[in-house]
Amino acid sequence: MKSREQEYKEIFIAEALEYYDALNRHISTLEKQPDDERTLAEVFRLLHNLKANSKAIGYLHISDVSHKLETAFSLVRSKELSFSDEVVTVLFDGIDLLGELISAIDKDEEKEPDPVLLRNLDIIVENLSESTIELAKVQKYSSSKNLSLSELVYIQIKKLDHLMNLVGELMIDRDRILSLSKELGSNELKAVSSHLYRITEDLQYSVMDARLVNIGSLFNKFPRIVRDIATAEKKEVDLTLSGQDIQIDRNILQIMTDSLLHLVRNAVTHGLELPAERERKGKPRAGKLRMSAQSDRENVLIELTDDGSGMDFKQIKRTAVERQLVTADVAKGLTDAEVLSFLFEPGFSTAREVTEFSGRGVGLDVVKNAIDSIGGRLTVDSEKGRGTTFTMLLPTSIAVKGALLFEVDEIFYAIPLIHTQQVVALDKDEIHEIGEVMIANLKGENVTVVYLHELLNADEADMRLGDKDRLKGQVQNIVVVAYNNRKLGLIVDKLYRQQDIVVKPMSKPLDRIDLYGGVTLLGTGKVCLVLDVPATTRYFMNRRQ
Amino acid sequence: MKRILIVDDSFYMRTMLKNMLTDAGYEVVGEAPNGQTALELAKETTPDLITLDVILPDNTGLDVLKGIKADQPDMKVIIVSAVGQEVIVNEAMEYGAKAYIVKPFSEEKVLEVVSQVLSEEAK
Repeated sequence: MKSREQEYKEIFIAEALEYYDALNRHISTLEKQPDDERTLAEVFRLLHNLKANSKAIGYLHISDVSHKLETAFSLVRSKELSFSDEVVTVLFDGIDLLGELISAIDKDEEKEPDPVLLRNLDIIVENLSESTIELAKVQKYSSSKNLSLSELVYIQIKKLDHLMNLVGELMIDRDRILSLSKELGSNELKAVSSHLYRITEDLQYSVMDARLVNIGSLFNKFPRIVRDIATAEKKEVDLTLSGQDIQIDRNILQIMTDSLLHLVRNAVTHGLELPAERERKGKPRAGKLRMSAQSDRENVLIELTDDGSGMDFKQIKRTAVERQLVTADVAKGLTDAEVLSFLFEPGFSTAREVTEFSGRGVGLDVVKNAIDSIGGRLTVDSEKGRGTTFTMLLPTSIAVKGALLFEVDEIFYAIPLIHTQQVVALDKDEIHEIGEVMIANLKGENVTVVYLHELLNADEADMRLGDKDRLKGQVQNIVVVAYNNRKLGLIVDKLYRQQDIVVKPMSKPLDRIDLYGGVTLLGTGKVCLVLDVPATTRYFMNRRQ
Repeated sequence: MKRILIVDDSFYMRTMLKNMLTDAGYEVVGEAPNGQTALELAKETTPDLITLDVILPDNTGLDVLKGIKADQPDMKVIIVSAVGQEVIVNEAMEYGAKAYIVKPFSEEKVLEVVSQVLSEEAK
């Protein structure tokens, strides 16, 4: 972690070198057109900033030279100093000196300005026009002068994508080499491969770091958007933002943009009430909308909360029954979380009015699919009359994911950690057959469990997901995954470790099997299938009906 | 949380100001490197306060001040200037700036002026 002083210093140097380049450009223009007022103003501005910045950070030589040059240029501007050859030479020298002083800081060198040059600057600044003859020859260092380029580069995101892919490939080979070194028992190879491991890890984080942008770059667009929607809907909205400093992969943020916009439009149009209605309910006239971001090492959490009318659970149940997603009997017994999960069904909408900003028909499933596609999670929580919160849990990086490795029927599988809630071992007797499925009680909560071996391998005609007799052994390892406000326990044969994996998409024609999000190679050289939790959950739901 | 817009053409200055203000619990809702962006962001973000550098690449700070005041007469603006620009500062105060800070500034000074201006009742 860089200290703030170090960061300030780097920013100062990068900006100062940019100024230095621009000054060189402008003074060459001025040499040909000394009356160019715009260029003069620009030179003045650059020197002015350089002076103020160097004074603030404490590089007094630079602020001193900038100040002298600034004064000289202001005299040129007011025509008190002519842009003669001698004067131009001194000004060029002065700007060169600035460049050297800036580079010296960059290299942590002490550098004193040339006293002859300083005196020359004083002479022209004090406007002793007669005494330009006195201007002493300054030792020219231009022959030995280095070209210095800006410390900042702009880079296309495409190039970073490519770099990230290469790192992914490298990680796979690294794991293979590490594993080979253990098999071969060569100490030398072990030492080299563990060094390779550390370097690759460093490289991975450096590339990931280079792709990060502030969430604020998206959040800060919303005050205006919310204002416009609110005006069109005749609502009053008080938007608060927090966590704009949180950093996230640029591509993930890009994919999130439309989703967040959609949720915000919904919140203002359908969530928040009209001012008069709010007053009747004893709420402040202006609806509150809060957009926040938090992060830990692995994930970024974005929350959008409104204090509006909340979801109408009865209406959602009615619509779900109408659309035959669930029978009326079953609907009665559903928990709030289960009811809310219908919101993510394709095209599900209870909105009765079509408005300019939130047209009917574009459901939350679009948002959900976008978040699924980057391996994130979307959940919703709502209380009637009190408001709604959407929570998006997003990975910080697309390419590399933390995953849990396990085995089913001697095939290796991985599940991204973002979808796993907990891992438990239960005795077979603690799993109960209820109707067509098996249920386990986990910390007071009844969770449907499914034997993956059965779900993935059994013939359609012979599949018995509710039959305990199919389970092997007494102790059952269960990976609890969460998707769409629902929990599902996956019974696996053998549990292995957590590991960072690089997910490679399936190639054609296998890419049409959506049960698997891709494959990864383990250090042993074995192929490991990456289970797609959303697709697996859907697959299970379809089998039990 | 009070919301502040920073207008300054130097990235270094903006970063310093932003850190000082954010550390003190203010929300920096935007950063403008030039006059055009400053006017747009002032409209878009309607902050509680704007810090305005007087020398900007496209317009002078004074033009930006006039533009902001024409659109939002009650907007609180603090002028950030360097030594030797007293004339501009005086003019800015006549156009309705609330206070000024002289570069190089100390953190204490910035926070003192900002909190003082923010606590004044809008007239």
